[in-house]
Amino acid sequence: MVDRLERLTNLVLVLLRDERPKSLREIADEVPGYPSEGEARRQAFERDKRSLREGGIVVTTTPIEGPDQIGYLIRPDDFYLPALDLDADEQAALNLAVAGVHLGDPSGRDALWRLGLPAPVGARPVADIKALPGLPALWDALRAGAVVEFGYRGERRHVAPALLRFRGGWWYLVGFDVDKDAGRTFRVDRMDDVPRPGPAGSARLPDAFDPEAALPDEPWRMGEDEPERVELLAGPEVAALVEQQMRSASVLERRDDGSVVLALEVTNVDALRSWLLELGEHVVVLGPPDVRAAMVDWLTSLVDRPPPTRGVGRSKAGAS
Amino acid sequence: MTVRHEAGQRLRRLLAVLTWLARVRRAPVAELAERFGMSPEDLVADLELAACCGLPPYTPDQLMEIMVDEHEVVAELGDELAQPRRLTPAEGFALAASGRAILATPGSDPDGALARALDKLDAALGAAGSLRIDLGGDPHLAELRRAVDEGRQLRVRYYSLSSDEETERVVDPWALVALDGRWYLDAWCHRADSERRFRVDRLVDVAQTGDVVDHPAPADGAAMGDAPEGPAAFVPGPDAVVAEVLVDPAGMWLVEAVPTLSVEPARGGRTTVRLAVASTVWFERLLLRLGPHAEVRGPKELVGAGRSAAERLLERYREAVPPAD
Repeated sequence: MVDRLERLTNLVLVLLRDERPKSLREIADEVPGYPSEGEARRQAFERDKRSLREGGIVVTTTPIEGPDQIGYLIRPDDFYLPALDLDADEQAALNLAVAGVHLGDPSGRDALWRLGLPAPVGARPVADIKALPGLPALWDALRAGAVVEFGYRGERRHVAPALLRFRGGWWYLVGFDVDKDAGRTFRVDRMDDVPRPGPAGSARLPDAFDPEAALPDEPWRMGEDEPERVELLAGPEVAALVEQQMRSASVLERRDDGSVVLALEVTNVDALRSWLLELGEHVVVLGPPDVRAAMVDWLTSLVDRPPPTRGVGRSKAGAS
Repeated sequence: MTVRHEAGQRLRRLLAVLTWLARVRRAPVAELAERFGMSPEDLVADLELAACCGLPPYTPDQLMEIMVDEHEVVAELGDELAQPRRLTPAEGFALAASGRAILATPGSDPDGALARALDKLDAALGAAGSLRIDLGGDPHLAELRRAVDEGRQLRVRYYSLSSDEETERVVDPWALVALDGRWYLDAWCHRADSERRFRVDRLVDVAQTGDVVDHPAPADGAAMGDAPEGPAAFVPGPDAVVAEVLVDPAGMWLVEAVPTLSVEPARGGRTTVRLAVASTVWFERLLLRLGPHAEVRGPKELVGAGRSAAERLLERYREAVPPAD
């Protein structure tokens, strides 16, 4: 009985050896351990191909002349990378990077293994950039210049990807929505399914498209509301903090009690509300009247709680 | 885990060991085992098996040249196996994202070894310009980075969300950590006389005291808040109260934003979320942000938390009348 790992290792070496595809019969002659009976042999081989795929090895299936019709090979280009010529410092830097970033899965370590670089040993993570199931497919589509298809808010989207961007703790896909004929930004964790890439080279970005411009810094400016100039009163307890964090705001007034009046441009009122409420009772919206009224309505809804049975539907009315 | 899956994983690891051996040719068993996260026994077993692999007709000259004794492995595998191998999309992404994330940390050298390595990798993978990672800026980051690197003690003013107070503290900074889009400073706090994790965006003022740190960072890197599966921004203490909150779909961001103890579907499309509450102020503000989308079901002392916080803020609104146009 040949160990499964031994059969798989020999299979890789045999399929890699020459660039000519081999039929299953030839493979079974060359790699010990396959059953002699046809159907059992086929099943064992299919199982091995799946294991290779899980190990990240691509087996190409291609038509061949002769009675067997189908041949298999591992293309060197699918197996090897061009030499990277990393010097010792560069190798060490990649190792430290993988050790220092927490992704939540071992892909980074596996990558170092496959490049023949030493695996990292216990370093302290300095950043957490959670891996999401859709990210590898999106990154691969970006490399291939392929349009990706995915569900978003219940709609099928077709997007020419331009950039994967991590900001504020979230991953975004910036791209050109083919159906809407406009640039769009999508939260990757809100995609309904794992994106499916179309053919390589199918993505076309308009010449003037600038993915860098698509995401502003501050949460209250990440939105498509009509821009409004909002005035805030920050109490003495948090005035310095608010002034420091709201970098785009201008100070209108400094009061004797230490409080500050600031003005800032807002295109996402919901995000502003959430940011301000994290500071509790220390910040008040002074204007414009509609933003102030919406804030008061929101708070009033907490005081005059609807009876539990009415629940969900009321929220919209309260916020508008 | 299925047997089939295991075989794929074993092959992945064996090929990694062989690639490494093809380059270094000779390595102690113990070091190899540690490097690849396996027991010396498993490593030796897999290598002995690999020594029987090769090409037909599997005569000795066609087998992989690997000699294993109890202390050392010697191998002559040729240049081909030493080549770097193609990365899967998940691996390529993970490597590029990790590297770009570290480059985005304050104080990293944009033209240094890591940047050069990533450029080579991007060129080989055809992935130049595909990722942009921004871990957030903060006016104090550069100063904090310097203090961490040089082991300098700091005097900070910190606005604590959980106690709603601004306090001055002397801290021994250990590390800066980027989590969920925010920067945190791990440090020894002389005021609390224990280790603390501070939100950098709540530091109002940072200055060096002129002294060096007297509580150095723990050597093993196992700082507080590091849950077994990775870093976490918040770990409930023993005094925490468990609150049960019913949220509607528009309030489900709660599950992403704070650590939860359980999340279960409830009637009417709502969800029951249980979470640990260590600070009433923190919980009140969470409820303010959730607004009409959440309802506290218990315990009794927290049921009215959102209402009383909203009443206090509404009182401020009545006081702070906007200027007449």
